Amino acid sequence: MAPIIHVEELRKTYPGGVEAVRGLSFQVEEGEIFGFLGPNGAGKSTTIMMLTTLLRPTSGSMRVVGLDPTVNPFAVRSQIGYVSQDLAVDDALTGRENLWLQGNFYHLSPAENRRRSQELLELVGLADRADDLVETYSGGMRKRLDIACGLMHRPRLLFLDEPTLGLDIQTRRQIWAYLEQMKHQFGMTLFLTTHYMEEADALCDRVAIIDQGQIRAVGRPEELKAAIGGDLVHLRLDGAEAQAKAQAILEALPPVRSVQAADGQLQVVVTNGDDAVVPIIQALAQAGVAPHAITVKKPTLDDVYLAHTGKELRAESGSRDEGMQARMRMRRIRR
Amino acid sequence: MSLLEQQAVLEAPRLGVRTWAHDVYVVFWREMRRFVGQRMRILALVAQPIIWLVFMGNMLQGLTAEFAASALLGTDSYVAFMLPGIVVMTALFAGLFSGMSVAWERRFGFLQKMMASPIPREAIPLGKMAAAAVQGMLQVVIILGLGLLMGVRLATGLPGLVAVLLLSGLFALAMAGFSLALAAVLRTHEALMAVINFFTLPLIFTSDAMFPRAAMPGWLAAIARINPVSWAVGPVRDLVLHGWNWPAIAAGVVALLLVAGLMTRLATRELEKSVV
Repeated sequence: MAPIIHVEELRKTYPGGVEAVRGLSFQVEEGEIFGFLGPNGAGKSTTIMMLTTLLRPTSGSMRVVGLDPTVNPFAVRSQIGYVSQDLAVDDALTGRENLWLQGNFYHLSPAENRRRSQELLELVGLADRADDLVETYSGGMRKRLDIACGLMHRPRLLFLDEPTLGLDIQTRRQIWAYLEQMKHQFGMTLFLTTHYMEEADALCDRVAIIDQGQIRAVGRPEELKAAIGGDLVHLRLDGAEAQAKAQAILEALPPVRSVQAADGQLQVVVTNGDDAVVPIIQALAQAGVAPHAITVKKPTLDDVYLAHTGKELRAESGSRDEGMQARMRMRRIRR
Repeated sequence: MSLLEQQAVLEAPRLGVRTWAHDVYVVFWREMRRFVGQRMRILALVAQPIIWLVFMGNMLQGLTAEFAASALLGTDSYVAFMLPGIVVMTALFAGLFSGMSVAWERRFGFLQKMMASPIPREAIPLGKMAAAAVQGMLQVVIILGLGLLMGVRLATGLPGLVAVLLLSGLFALAMAGFSLALAAVLRTHEALMAVINFFTLPLIFTSDAMFPRAAMPGWLAAIARINPVSWAVGPVRDLVLHGWNWPAIAAGVVALLLVAGLMTRLATRELEKSVV
């Protein structure tokens, strides 16, 4: 079966010269949950906007539901759904009216529109508040309503840009559950972006690690973690000299696979973390190097991210307008 | 690939006229639903023209004591002269603020939501223009009612009243198109607000709305001639004071339809060009 999204060498350079997306190639299979994991400004939203016909790429080719969004935008639009990170629900309407409007944008028949609105209101737990104005809703309720809007026309492929941005963990888990349900009940394909590791890990069948407009790694979360090649031991040492000395000693030890220095600490990959700690401490003690902290852990997607990009995943500040938008969004979430 | 950089031939939405009209209606419905929900806005929109009409109308009534002034105004009632100006001004305001919604929706993401859906792009400006026209006409009904109470009698009677209403609706529609096209080009509501504020009062005071053109200096009269506010005020004033001036009505209607059509095209193209 042909992939539902097929992207090759996709690029977007904004008029100001900012290269937001720099040669992306990837495929998404029908029925999977595919996640773009990366910090703000990595090019995630830009990619989604190109795939959803909202933005023209500078170069490269795309196939979404078998069609080119730049050539057949209307045919693509009717088969996909898009939930932006902006909480784009109309505050001046009721929850039910928002859904009704969305159903009309996608040309549902009046009966179908009413039926699905009710169904989705129940699914996202807003049935008892359906006829209240959205301006009286909390941030989590708005987000649930916005996602329900995206589900109204039961798209084959749903794009979600940061679906749980700024939400508490309880609401986040609920949203993950709805999305899982859509995948299983309707075979819906989900493409989402996130900068939350747990979200990528818990929800996505496959994850692409994206940084500075490029994909650094793609795979199932387990595969990506396994590719690190073992457990991780982090050592904190004082001074560059001690660090260099320790690194040389550790690289010679049998259970050690690799040693990487980052942010004032050494990250050591070992075959088995629990068994390696004692030999490591002994070897260092013999050489007169004393780490003042040592931790052992199973690799997480954080470590995968670090391994592929050389930095921790964190939010980066964007343009002034983006900052304004982010503040407005947070304000809307917090109400 | 350079293929994408060439303007790809965009597939036209395969929509019947009914679906197309439905989509315009859906956008229109949302605007009206928002309008009805805003009590303060409705109150302000009703109060504003009343203030204009009652205060300005009485303030300048003294003018008509001068025979020469009455001759210039074409009537001995300043309120009757002023009424068409207030009607058109109200329609102008109703239209010009239409673009604010687009600038605002771009910021909070609703525009992107509409643009990602399969509704034809022009449904967005057209639905909003229709809503501005209806809102403007609602206000105009109030003003005309008030004018009748203040003793203004239309030379063309009840059919003239309906014609005035339709003309002001068309004017609001065209001005909403202008505002929406501006909003699509300027992107932010701050920039739009600045430009609209810059335009509004000069548009009114360089037109026939408040002051007879015959009494204007030559250069101002020349501006008044090409000012779109005059295109609407002229025929409306004829309907109120004199009678059916068909050539003026036809010219006004054609000019306003052209503006509305052109602005819809411009707004649609700008919306298509980019959403971000």
